[in-house]
Amino acid sequence: MTFDWSVVWQHRDVLAQATGTTVLLTIATMLIAVPCGIVVAVLRLYAWKPVGVLATAYVELFRNLPLILVVYWAFYVLPILTGIGLSPLATGLTALALNVTAYNAETFRAGINSIRRGQTEAAMALGMSRAQALRRVVVPQALRRILPVLASTWVSLFKDTSLVSVIAVSELAYVAMQIRAQTYRVLEMLTAMALIYWLLGYPQAKLVDWMQRRFAVTE
Amino acid sequence: MEFNFAVITDHWRFLASGVGVTLLLALLSGVTSLTLGFGIALLRLYGPRWLRPLIVFYVDSMRAIPVLVVLVWTFFALPLVAGITMPPFFAALLGLTLHLAAYAAEIVRAGIESVRPGQTRAARALGMSPAQILRRIVLPQAVVRMLPAFGSLLSVTIKDTAIASVIAVTEFMRQSETVAGQSFQPIEVYTFAMLVYFVILYPVTRGVESVYRRVAHLGRS
Repeated sequence: MTFDWSVVWQHRDVLAQATGTTVLLTIATMLIAVPCGIVVAVLRLYAWKPVGVLATAYVELFRNLPLILVVYWAFYVLPILTGIGLSPLATGLTALALNVTAYNAETFRAGINSIRRGQTEAAMALGMSRAQALRRVVVPQALRRILPVLASTWVSLFKDTSLVSVIAVSELAYVAMQIRAQTYRVLEMLTAMALIYWLLGYPQAKLVDWMQRRFAVTE
Repeated sequence: MEFNFAVITDHWRFLASGVGVTLLLALLSGVTSLTLGFGIALLRLYGPRWLRPLIVFYVDSMRAIPVLVVLVWTFFALPLVAGITMPPFFAALLGLTLHLAAYAAEIVRAGIESVRPGQTRAARALGMSPAQILRRIVLPQAVVRMLPAFGSLLSVTIKDTAIASVIAVTEFMRQSETVAGQSFQPIEVYTFAMLVYFVILYPVTRGVESVYRRVAHLGRS
């Protein structure tokens, strides 16, 4: 069997564009999922009980579903439920954001809960309001625990964007597999796709390790 | 808008077979990746020095490449290099094992390293061999500490089997796609699929937590 690697070079522009879409999709999802995650976590912790239960139900539901199913579900069900026809890209973004928001909410909740109650009580004994205690005492410490987890969620998300290829979003996995189907250069295109993911993902994974060492909290 | 859930009852045998394949694939890849992960972690910690960079490279690479890519590569590209053809199920098992073993190895390594070195030294001072120390002192504590992480790895494994639908493994996700496509009732089918996955995954997450709460004291030192 002979291999013809020039096919990868011939499609370099399309591949670069698709890689760009993958990166953009990761960034856009995180930009949505961080604020939304904070809101859901705060609702769970401090809101009126029934709202908190709903927030918990949302988090538990999406943490216990395969993302690929959420992607299909968003693709087929969302347009009918909401009456809005979204592009595949927007649908993929919605599915990813729904999923990552749930994970982020759990990260924020665990981070805030990890700061001992005594600290909030001490701050309130000093005359701070609950909001002040949260902002000045709890959040700055919780951030050190939250950041490394967010970073590893980021890496998972970067990899998970490949799953929106099943609804024809032209990100890296989809485009590489399209070229494979058109040119029949299966091994070359699939290896190139794996290599591009590896080149981008490897430094990110290493960065996460570094952050985990750098921000390690010892009480 | 009208929903007709008869499509589920009409195809229940077909869908149930998918659930069976999902559970089988998750169970098998769970066992193989755990076994392989243990081996890799032990080699990394106690094996020859030259092997270590290779293992670190493997583990970090698997953390950098999406499961989808690993699965697609094992199914479509590996046969071209290796000259063997595999049925989708075995390609999925191989791909998932390759991917998840890296995560399992990290969990095992972190667990073993969490046992204070003073204990190993004390055991050595008492005349135990390295194998004895590992078996009698380090692992009993380390394994308990690994439990929560293994629990979440198990739920990740079950979720990742759904990605095997891309390489036509007839697991539950794939069967649902087929039914949804043939019946033109994607809402009912995918909503039902969500319910099924949640019913499978939620007890796993919760069960591991409650088991851990019961045995956590065994891991303290």
